[in-house]
Amino acid sequence: MKKRLYLELENCIGCRSCLAACTQCGGHEERNRNYVYDVNPLVNRQTMPLMCLHCENPACARSCPAQAIQIHETGAVLSALVEKCIGCQNCTIACPYGIPKFDQEQNIMYKCDLCIDRTKDGIPPMCASVCPSNTLQWLTDEEIENKKKQFNLDNGKWVTSMPYLEGETNVKVNLPGILQGITKLF
Amino acid sequence: MQAKAAVNQKSGNTLNNAFASHFAKSMFLSVTALAILSFIGTRMFTHVDLNLYGYMVGTIVFIGGFFYRFIAWGERPPTKLILKKGLKLLFRKSTPKTSVEHLATYNFIWNRGIYRWTQHVLIGWGCILSCFVTFPLVFGWMYFTMDNNGHYNIIAMGMKVMTVPAEGIIANLSYNALNITAVMVIAGVCMALYRRLKNMQARAEQKFLYDFLPLYMLLLVSITGLALTFMNIFLHGAGQPAMSLIHQWSVIITLIYLPFGKLAHIPFRPMSVLARNYREHYAEQGMKECKVCGDQFVSIEQSKDVVDVLGVNTIEFKAKEGHHLAEMCLPCRRKYRIAQFSGFPTHEVKVKEANQNAKG
Repeated sequence: MKKRLYLELENCIGCRSCLAACTQCGGHEERNRNYVYDVNPLVNRQTMPLMCLHCENPACARSCPAQAIQIHETGAVLSALVEKCIGCQNCTIACPYGIPKFDQEQNIMYKCDLCIDRTKDGIPPMCASVCPSNTLQWLTDEEIENKKKQFNLDNGKWVTSMPYLEGETNVKVNLPGILQGITKLF
Repeated sequence: MQAKAAVNQKSGNTLNNAFASHFAKSMFLSVTALAILSFIGTRMFTHVDLNLYGYMVGTIVFIGGFFYRFIAWGERPPTKLILKKGLKLLFRKSTPKTSVEHLATYNFIWNRGIYRWTQHVLIGWGCILSCFVTFPLVFGWMYFTMDNNGHYNIIAMGMKVMTVPAEGIIANLSYNALNITAVMVIAGVCMALYRRLKNMQARAEQKFLYDFLPLYMLLLVSITGLALTFMNIFLHGAGQPAMSLIHQWSVIITLIYLPFGKLAHIPFRPMSVLARNYREHYAEQGMKECKVCGDQFVSIEQSKDVVDVLGVNTIEFKAKEGHHLAEMCLPCRRKYRIAQFSGFPTHEVKVKEANQNAKG
């Protein structure tokens, strides 16, 4: 059963557990590859996570002269292959979401690989497995479909990913509360 | 003048038209170059070591696979771009330093860990030194003769370079060069295999054909090579003919497979020097300012190139504000995305992104 990373952005409470968990994934060498942003930092405390969305047509891989960014059979866009990455940083410029990080010393790009050692066996990625507020979830397409019914929007709006993104992605993003015009109280 | 130009153009065309493809042209030129070099090196083919002709054929098949793989790769738009611009900048002052750091001392791997650096130096230099010994022997660019008993002449490209005593240091180093490099490669490959046993992540990402097979092949080449020495010294040559065929087979398979597995990064890695030159040169030419915060984050040239390359792939990231997403610096680009979700222009709030690095 294929599962996807599914983000309900507005649930985020800014605890940054996902960042801490990311550092602990095998091969990440204790550096996190995701982000958490304050939406309106000087006014309120709403935060939203941002991570690689694993595009179906990834700009990073298209712009890589070394074919260092491989796409796994699960659809995950992997981090740069260590022996191929030549350190040109094209991918960091190409990514529409600004996700890839670059290490000058090691001369290599690194980005979210959806914890491929876990997700290839159906285990949720580190970030989703620790998220305390259900912002990051690991769901089947069917479960995402059920969520769609559950929210039952009267304005006909249900959004996973498009049109807030630049193209179709393997990670699905949603903002049910904001679309309904409901202010959530935590 | 015009006529001359026209003639030049025409002759240029005919040279290119003489070959069906890039592949055919590259193949023809390299095989011709090899033949000419061997002709000179072996003094008109009088000193060819026919024991090694299998390797010769193997090398030519390898060159075929090499051009097949790398011409296809060089046609990808981003690759073509870096190759073209990088080659123009090859004679920058920093090129020798960058080349040594990237291709000989592997400083960037040192920064990834001492274990990995040691393993890479052992395998890398083991292989490179072996190539320096074997290819000249195979193509006759280097051979040994003996004028008076007990002294070898080392002949390189058909010229006597030096005469060394047969029991001397240089002679012994020459006899044992491949034994030494074999030990280096075996040690390095064992370290690499051990890392893959211990590191689950390394194993998760790696495939047998792509990552493991080349390592096993290097191990096989080195062990059969050492076995040849063992058979010569301790078994008085028993089994040597059979083992030399096994060794030859393993070397040829490794060579032919090289462009298609992990080892493809050997001929390909010099690109990192081109990429570094490309970045340094165009950073000096002028830096791109972020459309939102004004920070200089990449050279104007590279920004333009990436936009063009994405355009070739029919990817257009136009922001509502009219610029391309690649024209924003990375933090602004991330905040811009948050802004698309929330409807509030996060990227326009002048607050630096904070608390983004969890300390594992």
